[in-house]
Amino acid sequence: MTAPTSLDLHRVTVRHRGRPLVDVSDLRLEPGRPVTIVGESGSGKSVLAHAVMGTLDPGLEVGGAMSVGERRLDLADRSNRQFLWGRDLALLPQEPALALDPTMRVRGQVAEGVPGFRRRDQHATAVAEAALGRLGLADAGAAYPHTLSGGMAQRVAYAAATVGGARVLIVDEPSKGLDPASLDRLADLLAEHTAGGGILLTITHDLRLARRIGGRVLVMREASVVEQGPAEQVLDAPTHDYTRRLLAAEPSRWRHRWAPALPPADPSPALVTATRVTKSYGDVPLFEDLSLRIGAGERWAVSGPSGVGKTTLGNVLLRLTSVDRGTVEHAPAAGGGRLQKLYQDPTLSFPARVRLGLAMRDVVQRHDVAAGRLEELMTAVGLPPDLLDRRPAQVSGGELQRLAIVRAMMARPVLVFADEATSRLDLVTQEVTVDCLMTELSDTGCALLLVTHDRDLATAVADHHLDLGTPGRSRPSLAGILPA
Amino acid sequence: MTRLRMLSAGLLIALVAFALIGPLVLADPTAQHLDHYLQSPSLAEPLGRDDYGRSVLARLAHATRLSLVLGAACVATALLVGTAAGVASAWLGGWVDAVLRAVSEAFVAVPALLIVLMVSALASGGSVWALYLGIALAQWVEYFRVVRSRSGLVLGSPAIEAAGLLRLGRLHVVRRHLWPDLRPMLTTLASLGMVTSILAMSTLGFVKVGLQPPRAELGLMVTESFAFYDAAPWMAVAPVAVLFLLTVCFLGLRRSETVS
Amino acid sequence: MADLGRAVRVVSAADRDRVGAILLRRGAQAVGVAVLVSVLCFLVVRRLPGDAAYRIAAGRYGYDLVDEASADAVRAELGLDRSAWRQLGDWLLDLVQLDFGRSLVTSRPVAEEVGYYLAGTLQLVAVALVMALVIGGAAGVLAARRPGGALDRLTSGWVAGVRALPPFLLGLLLVLFFSVHLGLLPAVGHGGATIVLPSLTLALGLSGLVARVTRDAVVEVRQSEYVRFARTKGLSERRVLVRHVLRNAAVLLVPYLGVQAVILIEGVVVVESLFAWQGLGHALVHAVFWRDVPVLQATGLVLALMIVAVNTAVDLTVRWLDPRPRAREAVA
Repeated sequence: MTAPTSLDLHRVTVRHRGRPLVDVSDLRLEPGRPVTIVGESGSGKSVLAHAVMGTLDPGLEVGGAMSVGERRLDLADRSNRQFLWGRDLALLPQEPALALDPTMRVRGQVAEGVPGFRRRDQHATAVAEAALGRLGLADAGAAYPHTLSGGMAQRVAYAAATVGGARVLIVDEPSKGLDPASLDRLADLLAEHTAGGGILLTITHDLRLARRIGGRVLVMREASVVEQGPAEQVLDAPTHDYTRRLLAAEPSRWRHRWAPALPPADPSPALVTATRVTKSYGDVPLFEDLSLRIGAGERWAVSGPSGVGKTTLGNVLLRLTSVDRGTVEHAPAAGGGRLQKLYQDPTLSFPARVRLGLAMRDVVQRHDVAAGRLEELMTAVGLPPDLLDRRPAQVSGGELQRLAIVRAMMARPVLVFADEATSRLDLVTQEVTVDCLMTELSDTGCALLLVTHDRDLATAVADHHLDLGTPGRSRPSLAGILPA
Repeated sequence: MTRLRMLSAGLLIALVAFALIGPLVLADPTAQHLDHYLQSPSLAEPLGRDDYGRSVLARLAHATRLSLVLGAACVATALLVGTAAGVASAWLGGWVDAVLRAVSEAFVAVPALLIVLMVSALASGGSVWALYLGIALAQWVEYFRVVRSRSGLVLGSPAIEAAGLLRLGRLHVVRRHLWPDLRPMLTTLASLGMVTSILAMSTLGFVKVGLQPPRAELGLMVTESFAFYDAAPWMAVAPVAVLFLLTVCFLGLRRSETVS
Repeated sequence: MADLGRAVRVVSAADRDRVGAILLRRGAQAVGVAVLVSVLCFLVVRRLPGDAAYRIAAGRYGYDLVDEASADAVRAELGLDRSAWRQLGDWLLDLVQLDFGRSLVTSRPVAEEVGYYLAGTLQLVAVALVMALVIGGAAGVLAARRPGGALDRLTSGWVAGVRALPPFLLGLLLVLFFSVHLGLLPAVGHGGATIVLPSLTLALGLSGLVARVTRDAVVEVRQSEYVRFARTKGLSERRVLVRHVLRNAAVLLVPYLGVQAVILIEGVVVVESLFAWQGLGHALVHAVFWRDVPVLQATGLVLALMIVAVNTAVDLTVRWLDPRPRAREAVA
């Protein structure tokens, strides 16, 4: 027996020039029972969500239908759902920071979603302020979007999307760029929505969020659903091979030969020594009186929410940025290009208009790299040699990051600074990339400084852990050696 | 190379050939034949003769050569000076940047025409040097600002930081990062600069400042021909057509039209 | 969060800081411009060959009445007999005191003449700007509704064509067409219908670029994430246009107008000469021809300061429209 207000999807298909992007059989979304679709990029999960909403690019061919209660709507006609937008169907977009008009105050952007909104509508403004207040943003009404943090922008977008009272909420990849605390808050909001009898469809690649939301989970791979069932079952004891592979890629389940072990009894020689460094950013103090010592072969992880200064600390330790007070010393072994860095977006770290082969050759020549070493490293990380004929923009993020690892290793580094180097990658790609990096590091005895907001990743990789806590708090806690 | 660019390049080459070969082959542009006053086009003189009996075709060839050569000289100078200053500003920063920016701020608000007018007021009776100096002075700021902003972006990117960590050196930065990024932009600016220079020269000729008669210059030819428009329309059409073609060709050479 | 050192500074609550910074920067630019123009004019004075002074005297008194003594008097008036640095010092001092002297040709105080010409130029520029914004703006918005469509391609063609025509040619063509052949509009004169042709010449050239920029801005804004989100919130197309598209497109368009100010002023000089419109451009060209340096300096200065004023207005307008901090500075 289903409540009359459920949403049914009938055989949704999306094609791009004949190639299927989505091919999903019937699906029912019921009020109070959230549905989450997980998968990697390219699986078609986002495309499915947009096909339901009606916001797909015009170049794609859509098939199938959707029923809201009695009414049946053909998905191929993009305009037939527009009258539902805001009042019955709401979409929470992927990047909330980009989804807010930068020239309009927050309050106005929420108020315009209220049904029957008119210019200078006091009733709508009051409703908007109330909605913002419920989300803990009572003072943010007059602010402009660029002053909001990622989590705050996400909540504003939530308020704006749901203030119209829509019962069906589609959430598209909410975890991009959000730290764990903000993600938890969002999960609470979504739980509230479901508890109030709303229908929730979430698209995500973050398995922890999927577990948090609960309900039913569908695993998508290459346009079709490979497994579905209750969240507790699918995400802990899956039956399909692909789902198992996906779960194994979560950092908390990693079992690799380079996993952190207990450190040796004698401390290794120091590479980088920071003594009582202090840095502020404008009025915001990032860290104060921090002392740190990275020894040869050690693996450090620096974690904390976004905005707290993790990247700045890394840059300070590599002497790429200056400090306000204190000193940073490099041992002689760490000079002359022995400190290398991996960037969050590897496309930006290569010369953009030059073939990759040429860029790599420059490094080979500069560092007197032995003949064949480049090919050897590329094989070790699993990259085809013809990759070198392409330009950075023509290569995927995961492959380019592995090439960046090759480039860094050719300089025979003693310390590699990985600055959120895998944050933008899928789970499986992340595992492959980190595996490549850690294998190379352990083979050469090189040290690691990893900056990440993913605590599981930090635990899986590092033996020393520095938690910078919340912004403004100047007392970071130094967690000791973590057991393997 | 799109069809438009090929067409523009082809037409331009034809015009350049006309400008270079014409003065060598055709009649003397200053030779007056007053008995052939306003002669209509004929086989011997395809564009007829003007009010002094001079060959319009010969004058046109000399005028085109002048525009092209002077334009190229102005653009080359402005490009070299502006680019060097822009890169220096972005790379060195500090007081070098502050001084160069302050100087460019003063220049940028003074229209090119104004600068050229004033510089030609400096010279007596309109010399080519004054024109060259004026137009080059007016244009360097654009190259400076654009190169400085682009170089600033490139030099601030993670790629440069990585190259620094890899100790790849300054030459590498220029060869692999700066030059590939600036080159397409500079070629676009250079084509636009040619258009601006040629039009500025002709505009000055039109307001009778700058080059003086009996010099053959496109703008001067247009002005002089206006009085005889009814009797000899070819006198006006020829220089206008060449001006228009030159402009269209240079505009068509650019890669793509983007505003920002 | 890479390289915070070079990125955005923490935004402080007071808006006044930004406005103050804008005014300070433009003020400094105005001073720099004034110095540049004055020094250029000073160099002109220094390089005046003897017979130029003679010519100026002749222009003032008439060729029959002029003699060596009057040429000497002109030279003394311009202070050509003193040392170079002293002259420059006196020159700049005069500038600071806003003493522009008297015209070497008409002997009237320059300030008076410039005031008259300024009014003429302002009229012309105002009419041309309004025409350009209306024609160009409308064409741009309409073309943006269907990128790649017929109207869009027509607009692109028109922009390219207008770009290839220098203002003097365009003006000549318009005169030929409207005055000579059709006899509809007067070519020269002052007042009433005579403003149509010169301002139309200016407006046509400017409107092409306005249309192009407007079209690009509207297309870009309409494809943005925030416009998509606004639609999915349930807003009608018209409301999306008014509340989001227009303002964000203006943020892209207005700085471009600042750049256009320079081109507009250059067009003004040419158009006023062609149509013998009594404005600053016309006066400037005459001053160059007659080497009337005081008038040359004053008109050049006022024209350049007009550009600084337009750019100041542009900066302030952008600041009002867009609250985001500017990590990079404005275009001009």
